[in-house]
Amino acid sequence: MEVKDIVDINTIRTDMKAKSKEEALKELAEVLLQNEYITDIEVFLKDIYEREAMGETGIGNFIAIPHGNSESVEKIGVAIGITQDEIPWETLDDNGVKGIILFAVGKENDGAQTHLKLLSLFARRLGNDEVIENLLQSKDAAGVKEALCS
Amino acid sequence: MKIVGVAACTVGIAHTYIAQEKLENAGKKAGYEITVETQGTIGTENELTQEQIAEADIVIIAADVKIAGRERFEGKRIIEVPTDVAVKSPNKLIAKAAEVIVQPR
Repeated sequence: MEVKDIVDINTIRTDMKAKSKEEALKELAEVLLQNEYITDIEVFLKDIYEREAMGETGIGNFIAIPHGNSESVEKIGVAIGITQDEIPWETLDDNGVKGIILFAVGKENDGAQTHLKLLSLFARRLGNDEVIENLLQSKDAAGVKEALCS
Repeated sequence: MKIVGVAACTVGIAHTYIAQEKLENAGKKAGYEITVETQGTIGTENELTQEQIAEADIVIIAADVKIAGRERFEGKRIIEVPTDVAVKSPNKLIAKAAEVIVQPR
C-alpha cells in the first residue's frame, strides 16, 4: 500500500463553501460521514475541538491539520478541503488557511498499523513546501490527490 | 555537522511527521547530515542507531511530550523545542544548531 491508498478522491472538496473554521470543520466532517469514515458528527467534532483547544493546528503556509482520536471513527482517513478565500484560523504564521486537512483516527487502533503508517507518511508530505504549493493550486479532487501523492 | 533528532507531538498523528520532514529538509538544504526519529501513535520509527548518536554533533528534540530513550543522548549537546518551532521555523532551528556547536561548552 502507498500514500495514495489513504487519499480518497470522494473526500476531497475543492469548492468549499465555508467562511469560518466552524463551517469548514462541519463541512468536512459531513464529507467523512457520507463516506462512512465516521458514524457521528457531533462526537467526532467534539474530539476534534478537544485537540484544537490544546494549540494551533494551522501549520503555516495556509494549511490547517485539525485532528484527534475519536470513537466515532470507523476507518482511518482524511478529508481535504480547498477554499478560494482565506479562512481565519489559529496558525503558526498568523495567516489564515486555504487548505484544510481533517484527519480521522480512532481511539483504538488495533490492527490499523498499516493505515496509521500510511497516514504518517501522508502527514510527512504536508511538511514539504513544494507539495503544499501544488496542493493549493489544485482545481479539482484529482489534482489534489496528484499534488499529495506524486 | 551531523545532526540527530527526535520528533514527538501530543496526539502523535500529524505534527510529529511534519516536524520530521521540515527538519530533515532544512538540515539537508544547509548541507548537514540529519536523521530524525519519530515517536508517534504508530510507535518509534526511523530509530536512531547508536552509531548515528555517537557521531552526532548535536541533538534536536522537537517534542510536546516526554520522549522515550532520552538517556541515549547523555553528554551530548541538546536543543529542545516544541514541535511547533520545528514546523514553523526549521531553517532557524538548524542555524541555531550550527551556532550552538561552535560555542565552548
